[in-house]
Amino acid sequence: MAKRFLAYGLLGVSSFLALFPIFWTISTSIKDRVDTYTLPPKFFNFTPTLKNYSSLFSLEQFWEIYWNSILITFGSTLLCLVIGSLTAYSFARKPKFTGRGSLEGLMIAVRALPGIVLLLPIYKLSSYLGLYDSKMALIFIYAGFNLPFAIWLLMSFFEQIPIEIEESARVDGASNTRMFTTIILPIAAPGLVATGIFVSLLSWNEFLIPVIMAGENAKTLPVLVASFISNRTLDWGPMAAAATVALVPIVLLTVAIQRWLVAGLSSGAVKE
Amino acid sequence: MRIITARFGPRTKSRMNRRKNLRPIAHFTIPTWIFLAATVLVPFVYGIYISFLNINLASFLPPIFVGFENYQNVLNAPETWSTFRITLAITFIGLLVQLPLGVILAVALHENLKGTKLFRSILITPMLLTPVAVGLTYRFMFDTDLGVINWTLSLLGVDKVNWLGSQTSALLALIVVDSWQSIPFVMLLVLAALTAISPSLYEAARVDGAGAGQIFRNLTFPLITPTLLVITMIKIMDFLKLFDTLFILTRGGPGNSTTTLGLWTYKTGFVFLELSRAAALGVLVALITLPVYFLWRKASKGVR
Repeated sequence: MAKRFLAYGLLGVSSFLALFPIFWTISTSIKDRVDTYTLPPKFFNFTPTLKNYSSLFSLEQFWEIYWNSILITFGSTLLCLVIGSLTAYSFARKPKFTGRGSLEGLMIAVRALPGIVLLLPIYKLSSYLGLYDSKMALIFIYAGFNLPFAIWLLMSFFEQIPIEIEESARVDGASNTRMFTTIILPIAAPGLVATGIFVSLLSWNEFLIPVIMAGENAKTLPVLVASFISNRTLDWGPMAAAATVALVPIVLLTVAIQRWLVAGLSSGAVKE
Repeated sequence: MRIITARFGPRTKSRMNRRKNLRPIAHFTIPTWIFLAATVLVPFVYGIYISFLNINLASFLPPIFVGFENYQNVLNAPETWSTFRITLAITFIGLLVQLPLGVILAVALHENLKGTKLFRSILITPMLLTPVAVGLTYRFMFDTDLGVINWTLSLLGVDKVNWLGSQTSALLALIVVDSWQSIPFVMLLVLAALTAISPSLYEAARVDGAGAGQIFRNLTFPLITPTLLVITMIKIMDFLKLFDTLFILTRGGPGNSTTTLGLWTYKTGFVFLELSRAAALGVLVALITLPVYFLWRKASKGVR
């Protein structure tokens, strides 16, 4: 009995600590300046306002940046799914083939190496090639960096498909490619969706790549959010509104993928 | 399982079939090869190459080959060692905080009380959120005059702390933020390890008259140790990678007192514009990662 009480207490307190910063950001984003800059802090006793949002949205570049974030997230996720599902399928179905070991080594290198180690030379290379500040280049780099994660996660979904299904298709004379596109992919659709959502979370949150590789043209939301801090005057209201605008899509998405959340979040950690 | 079911497949011409199947499937990995070659392999090799040149982003002179000069400079610079020590300190204290708390939460969730699913969903949320936005939120919460953290402390009679103003307190704040986002990860992996332990083992231990503390020490803990090792290795790599929250919260300051080796590499390249020297640092960082990487692979074989 005491044990249960203790567990509940522990989970309750940590849930509060997990949620409070989110609550605090959202509540700051709908507070007037006067209500923000006051002590004791106002938790509920204030009149909500949308002023911070209107000043955020009226920033010259805001919508362009928001659109960049959506475009880059969507583009890189799509690439990851198309390319990743092919590789994940061959990994799931053929335990051994030439080059698999080295490919996995490369994938793990992406997970292990700090991004800056790769981004320094990528920056130099792309300024040679005229790819600095290009949305297309960003889509490709994001996809490359997130590909290993997508492959690991997709692999776990493909492995769950019974091989008998493929064998009967093979007896019917289906080629590898046809079997993959008409039989495997439709069965794995929920897995593709879940992986897609995870990869888009990673892309949406990515900061190091755009802070190095994007100038004015390809700027993304995290870079905009970060730029608030370097301004001389710290204006917490619009800042909290910007943070909220970045956070809300994530919270909505995670509610949608509750079922796969655990598998996705630990993917790649203990997989061979 | 897969081997058994495969037996029931068509056995005629099985050898030819296998070869026919093998080739197209290896083909399937070609796009991934191209992508990873372009974003990992080529940049990595090119990074080693530029670490032997003297590229400065502010200079228009054509770069020349300087041999090991960048490596010498980097190894002789006090910043390299001080930022390395800071990285070690953050890693060590961070692990000391995050591992026990993650284990405790996993054990609490593993009790399978009513509402566990809801608690789990809530506790996972922090690790999904945009680190930059999280950093911003905490920067506001750690504010000296208006921050809700100092206000809470004042209720307990503690004087105002200028959290981001001194090395010790800034490192502490940084570890708080990182822990907020990382403990859920530890918790999830440990929870998976706990779930994998057969209930009959607990049954047997209880029959033998073992108490709760004894069961944890002699049964649960040894069984989750491989997972804890994996988490430790991943976290060491992640602390070396630490960038977003650090950049927002302190930007490595005051001075360089919270700059990690990874952030120092960034600063060398993009603040001081010494690209070649930063590349040399990058190669050193990769070398540090190497043993951790091997230990991680080794440890992950022990899981399951």
